[in-house]
Amino acid sequence: MVRFKNRYVLCEVVSEDPRCRQCIEDRVLGLAVRDAIARVHGDYGLACCSISFTVKYLNAYTGTVLLRCRKDSYRLLCSALPFVRYLESRGQRYPCFLNTLHVGGTIRTCQKFLIQYNRTQLLRLLQNCTNEEERQCIQKSLLSCSLTEEQSESGDEEDDDGTETD
Amino acid sequence: TASLGRRRGGRGERQSGDALTRGCPSEPARVGYSAVALNHVIDFKEKKQEIIKPVSPSELFPSLPIVQGTTKRIKVLTRLTLVVSDPSHCNLLRSTSANIRLYDIIAVFPKTEKLFHIACTTLDVDLVCINVTEKLPFYFRRPPVNMAIDRGIYFELLYTPAIKDSTMRRYTISNAISLMQICKGKNIVISSAAERPLELRGPYDVANLGLLFGLSEGEAKAAVSTNCRATMLHGETRKSACGVVYTVKKPRKVEEEETAVPACKKAKTQA
Repeated sequence: MVRFKNRYVLCEVVSEDPRCRQCIEDRVLGLAVRDAIARVHGDYGLACCSISFTVKYLNAYTGTVLLRCRKDSYRLLCSALPFVRYLESRGQRYPCFLNTLHVGGTIRTCQKFLIQYNRTQLLRLLQNCTNEEERQCIQKSLLSCSLTEEQSESGDEEDDDGTETD
Repeated sequence: TASLGRRRGGRGERQSGDALTRGCPSEPARVGYSAVALNHVIDFKEKKQEIIKPVSPSELFPSLPIVQGTTKRIKVLTRLTLVVSDPSHCNLLRSTSANIRLYDIIAVFPKTEKLFHIACTTLDVDLVCINVTEKLPFYFRRPPVNMAIDRGIYFELLYTPAIKDSTMRRYTISNAISLMQICKGKNIVISSAAERPLELRGPYDVANLGLLFGLSEGEAKAAVSTNCRATMLHGETRKSACGVVYTVKKPRKVEEEETAVPACKKAKTQA
């Protein structure tokens, strides 16, 4: 059975400006990544990578991005990701960089990794908590995060309080 | 798991200069590096350069953040880079000046072929920096490169100029590939010369950059993790006597010696 094999690259958008996270959209990010591939690998690289290239999942609160590409060209994509320097939306440029977390063959493996990663992030936030209310909020989220069997993406939990540590 | 989510031993470097107090090393810790080296560059072309004592990291950053993915705090090392364009500049390394010994890692940046040969064969350094911002004035030859590999000296490539500018990118890639063809991918360290936290990239991304430079996947991962750790140990052995005797000053008692603990074993028990 011939099947098209894909690779799903899980990244995180890291920036100093808190407004950058709000402007993360799939179109903006897709353009930034395509532009980086074109700059590094030229027309051939851009053409190869854009065969099945989409932004599959986006979480503006945590800055998590899931990209999809063909298995044959995922190396071109991964080697061009460090060259993304800013996101441009509505005429504004926000300097940032993409941090690759995980490359998987299916969305499900990336989801499992993301749950584990978010759990460690919540633990880090828990250490820096200042008041009791935030602490209880985080503890509740920690206990409730798990991969359920529902079709919707209820496995990923939202971030809480907007209190991020950088 | 053995995925690259568990990063260990990766090392990022920052140019210090006046930007020493530019934020504590929270960005490298968040991205997953377990050690960071602060770099002082000494350029001998300018007049009157003195080697100053390195600023102790514990004074600069009173509390170090914890590395993402582990439970340990990030290590901050001090590093000295000597830009040499004349053989007389190397005398500084041969002299037993006390200030040089205080740095954790010593790197040299040779500008001519003769100096490259001297650095690889006789100088007592940990890293030899490879120029990435302009076309190399000399070609690499196999004998000095092989001697450097035997002595445990690593070649360093910077990636931040490549991210910033397209012409630098071409020079970086061509210089890196010509080095790879001679040294076959061994003893390479890829580091950033980041002056701002946004110029840093995660270890996974830097390993992918290594693929662009002509390394294989295993070599690229090693360039970010194991080779960096080996450089740190090489610097440590310079502080002790050939890595066999390691002296520790105890503040309260009289100086005593911990004998017969090779530096590599000592680092394992520490880590």
